[in-house]
Amino acid sequence: MSGFGAMHPAVALLYYAGLLLFALLQLHPLFLLTEIFGIVLLTVLQGQVRLLRGVLWFLPVALSVALLNPLFSHRGTHILFYVWDRQITLEAVLYGLVTMTMLLTVFVLFISYNYNITADKFMHLFAGAAPKTALLTWMAIRFVPLFQRRLREITRIQRVRGIDTGQGGLRKRMKDGMILLKVLVSWSLEEALQTADSMKARGYGVHKRSSYGGYRMDRLDKLVLLWLAACACIPLAGWLAGHGVPEIYPRLKPMEWGWEEGWMYAGLCLFVLTPPALEGKEKWLWRSSRRKTYPSATLKPGRTRCMNSPSR
Amino acid sequence: MAKYRYPLLIALGLFLALLGLTAALKDRHYMLLSLVMLAAALLPLFIRLERRPLEARELVLLAVLSAVAAISRIPFAALPNVKPVSALVILSAYVFGAEAGFIIGAVAALVSNIYFGQGPWTPWQMFAWGLMGLTAGWLRSIPLLRSRAGLLAFGFVWGFLFGWIMDIWYLLSQPEALSWKLAAAAVASSFYFDLAHALSNVVFLAVLAGGWTKVLERFRRKYGLLKE
Repeated sequence: MSGFGAMHPAVALLYYAGLLLFALLQLHPLFLLTEIFGIVLLTVLQGQVRLLRGVLWFLPVALSVALLNPLFSHRGTHILFYVWDRQITLEAVLYGLVTMTMLLTVFVLFISYNYNITADKFMHLFAGAAPKTALLTWMAIRFVPLFQRRLREITRIQRVRGIDTGQGGLRKRMKDGMILLKVLVSWSLEEALQTADSMKARGYGVHKRSSYGGYRMDRLDKLVLLWLAACACIPLAGWLAGHGVPEIYPRLKPMEWGWEEGWMYAGLCLFVLTPPALEGKEKWLWRSSRRKTYPSATLKPGRTRCMNSPSR
Repeated sequence: MAKYRYPLLIALGLFLALLGLTAALKDRHYMLLSLVMLAAALLPLFIRLERRPLEARELVLLAVLSAVAAISRIPFAALPNVKPVSALVILSAYVFGAEAGFIIGAVAALVSNIYFGQGPWTPWQMFAWGLMGLTAGWLRSIPLLRSRAGLLAFGFVWGFLFGWIMDIWYLLSQPEALSWKLAAAAVASSFYFDLAHALSNVVFLAVLAGGWTKVLERFRRKYGLLKE
């Protein structure tokens, strides 16, 4: 990973936490769409467009919110039509659509989060604050692939004895599955308790646990961290002062757009677009460096690269 | 930096709580507040885990049981809501007690979501499975749960409770339409998924109950683990 993905985990966490905060707090369609745009841009620049297909899974949930809000909320003054003698109001429809956009923002955000903040980055941040929980989670994460391997091995061996989850009636198959699981848990617990004893023999729990961190915060990380925090303050301060919240209920009002909203939007744009800019910068540098460093890599008209090729 | 870690974290938590409260009071918008309250509910038990003197063996035991619960979700990924996780969490809590049950449930949710993808549902799943383990550990000594039928009924009920806890998240995203009717609609729409979960709980508990608890009991006696 390069660019944003290679930065210190704290930067990435601040970015996603800030985005989640804005998405949950500020129900403004323009702000939400900007957030979606920023995340999609970052994902595209990282070359992970296929990940965005995951949104399709959550589309039904988001759409149902847009549908259910007008059906269950009847406040508002602009009545569009009647369904089962209940009025469907313009306000409710709009509010449903805004909520749908909010949910979509959250889903897209987590798609990008899962790609950029891997488990080790997350644990690196929290290992200091909660060492035992972090160690416990680490061991559990490490056991997952190990146990899957062991389970495959047990399955192969027990098949010789006729214990096979792939054959026989449902009752027998479930019973066999239980036997496999029991073997797995006995084996793994015995091994794991030996690991624990060896941990203790080497002095686990004698001192405060130190943790290995593969991430160092350099100057760029600190700068970006401060910059993101500063940018995030503008929309938050505006929101606390009551700006930038479109009034839909109880009566739809035309959206206000004063200089406060302009400032808030500018701050949000700077916040949202910083990681795509970092990612784009890396892309640009890579592209330019290829041109400059290896002039032979680019073909110039009228001159072939291989001067001593047989055709000459 | 390390010196200011706890004050910083506490300040951050208070700030988020304040923002959530403002959103709830001003815009009737409860998503952030619900997340803050969820974190506040999960925190005390994790703090207890951090503070109590824990043997390396006990820590490893908790990790193994969480990992087994987490991987049991993988072979059934194709069937929505058919997952033995709940049964394994209940049985582990049944043997090792409420606190261990909570930790196993919460960590299993966190770890399995590393493979299935984290999302806004992760804290809710951690809460729901943690609470499942906690209640199983609390109620394990009452005679009703000692009987096989009682244990199966407990799993059945928790299948529905789990689904309803997960519905809260969906309900809170539409504050304007929030009403008993909407709650009924959400519960009705997830009924078949919840039923699948409840029935699979009963089946897995019925299959696992005897043998599994025997294995765990043996380990507890052999190594003297997590004695209350």
